[in-house]
Amino acid sequence: MTWLQAMVLAVLQGASELFPVSSLGHTVLVPALLRWKFDRSDPTFLAFVVALHLGTAVALVIFYRADWVRIARALVSSVARGSLSSDPDERIGWLLVAGTVPVALLGVFLEAPVRRFFGSSAIVATFLILNAFVMFAGEALRRRPSTTARSASAQGDSTRPLAELPWADAVKVGFAQSAALLPGISRSGASIVAGLLLRLSHEDAARYSFLLATPVIFAASALEIPKLFAPQAQGVLAQSAVGGVLAAVTAYASVAFLTRWFHSHDLRPFGWYCLIFGTLCLGLALAKVIA
Amino acid sequence: MKALALALAVIFFIIGFLYLFGILQIGASHGGRHVSHFVLFVVLGILSLVWMRFASSGASPQR
Repeated sequence: MTWLQAMVLAVLQGASELFPVSSLGHTVLVPALLRWKFDRSDPTFLAFVVALHLGTAVALVIFYRADWVRIARALVSSVARGSLSSDPDERIGWLLVAGTVPVALLGVFLEAPVRRFFGSSAIVATFLILNAFVMFAGEALRRRPSTTARSASAQGDSTRPLAELPWADAVKVGFAQSAALLPGISRSGASIVAGLLLRLSHEDAARYSFLLATPVIFAASALEIPKLFAPQAQGVLAQSAVGGVLAAVTAYASVAFLTRWFHSHDLRPFGWYCLIFGTLCLGLALAKVIA
Repeated sequence: MKALALALAVIFFIIGFLYLFGILQIGASHGGRHVSHFVLFVVLGILSLVWMRFASSGASPQR
């Protein structure tokens, strides 16, 4: 792996992990388009990928540091008290726990087999197109007022605050996030769509999605930290360090942009991007231009 | 509820250690020790203990 390839992959990972466009899909399709060949099971490549994920997780923690401090304090005091209170931070903390359990369970058991079966460019591109339609459908269904939304709308607002999300709905968002095990389906896209369908605003759905992604990305990369110090990985330590920092900076900029974006915009532009890029890649894969 | 939470915690801890020592291989992609499975089940065990603590004090989710 050259330095240029390492830096491109770092920027790609940092941005696409948080934009609802599937980082996994992009790390398969973009190298295929550029005809970069990597052995994804090579210890040096794995060490590099771990560094990129760590960088992304650190960026998320730094961006939401005030939220995490409040949530952690609220959770600790809740456990110490042995009861639940009406504190919104405490409730959001437990909602995050409830949403993380499904993705942790499915991730640990299904990640390896799913990636083995769905690794080809054509399949990834197909899932990227599906990702686009999930976002389009989510936005369309969001705009169609349901009975409960109509009655809520009559009272002034059809959305509810994140802290009022029921437990079962938090678990549903967690399951939706698990769809990102399929390369081409976006973690943030799936969880934001689920949040929207459960009557969260775009802002709250995105905030819950990013908060929910943090422990998952952090735990997944923390478990792989030993790979960074494997003897074979020493050759890419500098690239891994610089790549990790670059991924962190890109991820921070991405989450800062997206939180502002969802203040007044929706998922459809990302849907169009996934549809166009996915269709292009699928065409190239079917024509055997890319592997 | 308290007894159920405790039983679940014990089961999760046992399953976690079985994965850690490579005795349990269900759903594993390779042979040997499975640290990620171990961590997952230990975390589930801890969450069960938290549930037990909440059950002890009579608190339950409001929604």
